[in-house]
Amino acid sequence: MSTEPPAGSTTLAPAVQLSGITKRFPGVVANSDVDITVRAGTVHALVGENGAGKSTLMKILYGMQPPDEGTIAIDGVPTAFASPADAIRAGIGMVHQHFMLADNLTVLENVVLGSEPRKGLGLDFTAARARIREISDAYGLDIEPDRLVDDLGVGERQRVEILKVLYRGARILILDEPTAVLVPQEVDELFGNLRELKAEGLTILFISHKLDEVLSVADDITVIRRGTTVASVSPADVTARKLAELMVGSALPVPELRESTVTATEVLTVTGLTVTSADGRPVLDDISFTIHAGEVLGIAGVEGNGQAELVEALMGIRTPNAGTITLAGRDITRDSTRHRREAGMGYIPEDRHRQGVLLEATLWENRVLGHQTRPPNVRGPLLDRRGAKADTERIVAEYDVRTPSIDVNAAALSGGNQQKLIVGREMSGDPVVLIASHPTRGVDVGAQAAIWDHIRRARADRLAVLLISADLDELIGMSDTLAVILRGRLVAEHDPATVTPEQLGSAMTGAGREEG
Amino acid sequence: MRSLTPRSVLLGLIAPVGALVFAAAVSAVILLATGHDPFDTVDAMATAAQRPRTLVNSLNTATSYYLSAVAVAIGFRMKLFNIGVDGQYRFAALLAAGLAGAAFMDSLPSFVRVALTILAAMLVGAAWAGLAALLKVTRGVSEVISTIMLNAIATYLVSYLNSPERLAVSTAGSNNIGTPKITEGGRVPGFEIEGSSSKVFGLVFLAVLVGFLYWFVLSRTRFGFELKATGLSESAAVASGVSVKKMVIVSMLLSGAVAGLVGMPELLGSSYSYSLNFPVGVGFIGIAVALLGRNHPIGMAIAALLWGFLFNTANSLDTAGVPREIVDIMQGVIVLSVVVAYELVRRYRVRAEQRAVGHALGRTKTAEEVTA
Repeated sequence: MSTEPPAGSTTLAPAVQLSGITKRFPGVVANSDVDITVRAGTVHALVGENGAGKSTLMKILYGMQPPDEGTIAIDGVPTAFASPADAIRAGIGMVHQHFMLADNLTVLENVVLGSEPRKGLGLDFTAARARIREISDAYGLDIEPDRLVDDLGVGERQRVEILKVLYRGARILILDEPTAVLVPQEVDELFGNLRELKAEGLTILFISHKLDEVLSVADDITVIRRGTTVASVSPADVTARKLAELMVGSALPVPELRESTVTATEVLTVTGLTVTSADGRPVLDDISFTIHAGEVLGIAGVEGNGQAELVEALMGIRTPNAGTITLAGRDITRDSTRHRREAGMGYIPEDRHRQGVLLEATLWENRVLGHQTRPPNVRGPLLDRRGAKADTERIVAEYDVRTPSIDVNAAALSGGNQQKLIVGREMSGDPVVLIASHPTRGVDVGAQAAIWDHIRRARADRLAVLLISADLDELIGMSDTLAVILRGRLVAEHDPATVTPEQLGSAMTGAGREEG
Repeated sequence: MRSLTPRSVLLGLIAPVGALVFAAAVSAVILLATGHDPFDTVDAMATAAQRPRTLVNSLNTATSYYLSAVAVAIGFRMKLFNIGVDGQYRFAALLAAGLAGAAFMDSLPSFVRVALTILAAMLVGAAWAGLAALLKVTRGVSEVISTIMLNAIATYLVSYLNSPERLAVSTAGSNNIGTPKITEGGRVPGFEIEGSSSKVFGLVFLAVLVGFLYWFVLSRTRFGFELKATGLSESAAVASGVSVKKMVIVSMLLSGAVAGLVGMPELLGSSYSYSLNFPVGVGFIGIAVALLGRNHPIGMAIAALLWGFLFNTANSLDTAGVPREIVDIMQGVIVLSVVVAYELVRRYRVRAEQRAVGHALGRTKTAEEVTA
């Protein structure tokens, strides 16, 4: 390995070179023998499924965790980071997936937080403001230093995060799934910014599992599978499909419905549903829709536009201020969650650890959860342990839950297997309607295909499904009808057969409404 | 409950046994530091343990401790901290003693008298705990705060009511006051044990029954499942159709009802009156016993016996010239170290299980496999 300084040489040393990185944890996929070479002044994408070990690798590069084996070289100089502070000093900056900004401070205050410019005893905000403007102009970030972060949109906040690491002198930027929170238009803007950063000679490490995006922005791509690098490719040489197959190591599922199974039977009818938050603001405003037997109604929307409240109101967890919910002709607006479940409402929650499973209970106890009033789990007031266990075995087999036994705690399973158990449980006992909130979030491709399959099969058996998802391909592919939710209102309906993700994205941000 | 394998039994035992050994070591160091011989202490306790009377008294004390621990554990199972068992049992014992000692009871059959007394104690205990439950579900008051305050209120109520103008009578030739003695028919006879002047409380069987019911309801019924689910994750329980408010009320009432039983073995088996020297503080001992026994019906029984034994041998230490307070120190160290030890074992278990699952599925390599 070269230890020559890069200056003066005709070929630049790689900005980042990871060799033979190995990191072991008990029980989880770590990294083994990872080799990555990132050329200076390029956008380098790191792709892999959830849990493939991308985040661990980036934590190692950012000094948050030391590798068990292997070496890191920055600009050709071998380095060892004891902490993120070391990494920052070496010119590495990390933009986290979840923003770490204080809403009630201005951009300026957020950016300087932790590295405040001093002038004597006071703070030199004038110099900092000038420097932020300078960086913003140089890289086309279009950030006004004196605005309150609270007033900024998601895309702008992300640019503030990027500005923050640039302010600290980063020359190598790590972006951890930066597009996860953005709608398509914002993604395009971000990619424009990344190209400018690259043009100014910065190096970008871009972590993602959205392959179209990776192909459009990356100069080099490294694929990680089960903790190790399986391929390094150039975007010119691969297609999204090929890349995905490299990621999962096998052929890919696609979300699609074959023929329509929609019937005329109304199963779930919601009229005028309104929910007001504690401060009197409507979080759901006059929502009305009908789902028929055999129909999947997809709800698209940027997170936080009322989806969670809608789901909770439907499940009886949150009391609506107005409106009615009718299930198979019966008004259930005032019914308890238990009655709704007994009437045949299945529920796949958005956050499985909060609402879906008991982590410190066994799999068979988790099978009983939410179905504790119905056979095969109970006989009268008594638990039917044998019945529940036998049915758990059935779910484990039918839904391919990978576990050595149904007596282990749910916490021991991977997220995808926990999700398969939840789906299997909610599909048991003949539900008439399924409220599925992000049913495939955070699960691997194999489990995703299986979950789609089960939803398709249940739909053919006249199940009505409300599908909420942030994955627009999943929404378009799996829905019979598509509605867009924006600030608590259903603002548009689309035909999934003709709509494109871009059109949906416009509607989700409200851009589409002005046009129409 | 989990299936029993030698490994799981060992893991279950390692924390309490380790804590006991550690506590013994700490106590020995303290004894040495204060100029006492640890071996003399062990000797004195061992000698006491050989007297049948000590063992009978230990069992009797343990009966109350156990009931108190079960009362606490019912709340613990759903992360509800009933700190008020102490007030609940004292208030319940006083009122039940007043009822049992009342003159009109004499005409009733013995069985009815005892049953009425016990029922009254359970109702009073449940009502006192129910106040805290009501405050929690209607006003969101933390049950920790309200039960502690209710303990204080119970203390004053008990001293107000336990006076000659009200429920109590003065005992001739003594400055003690208490409720009128329960007459023969209202008592629960004990069992004679050879070589012991004290009898084993008849209500030992009540404790056994309560322990069995506790196990059965929590692990075999739908209610028990919902209780456990609420304790593990309130949000998941709500999403599963469990009414958390109802669970708070029911479990608090049950906890209070069992708390009401705490004073019964003593009242109906030996003191026959609620007087100034009725045992106090058993509610707090119950918290320690429930912690030590991990809310498990058998575990708490063992812990209650240990606590009862330590309490009854403390007297014999005085005669050996060792301060009896060493027992308090020992109990304190046991509880502290057992809480730490349980957490360590729990973490180890979670990791071991994840490793086992990963291993069984062949998804990850263990460190040994990687190096091999």
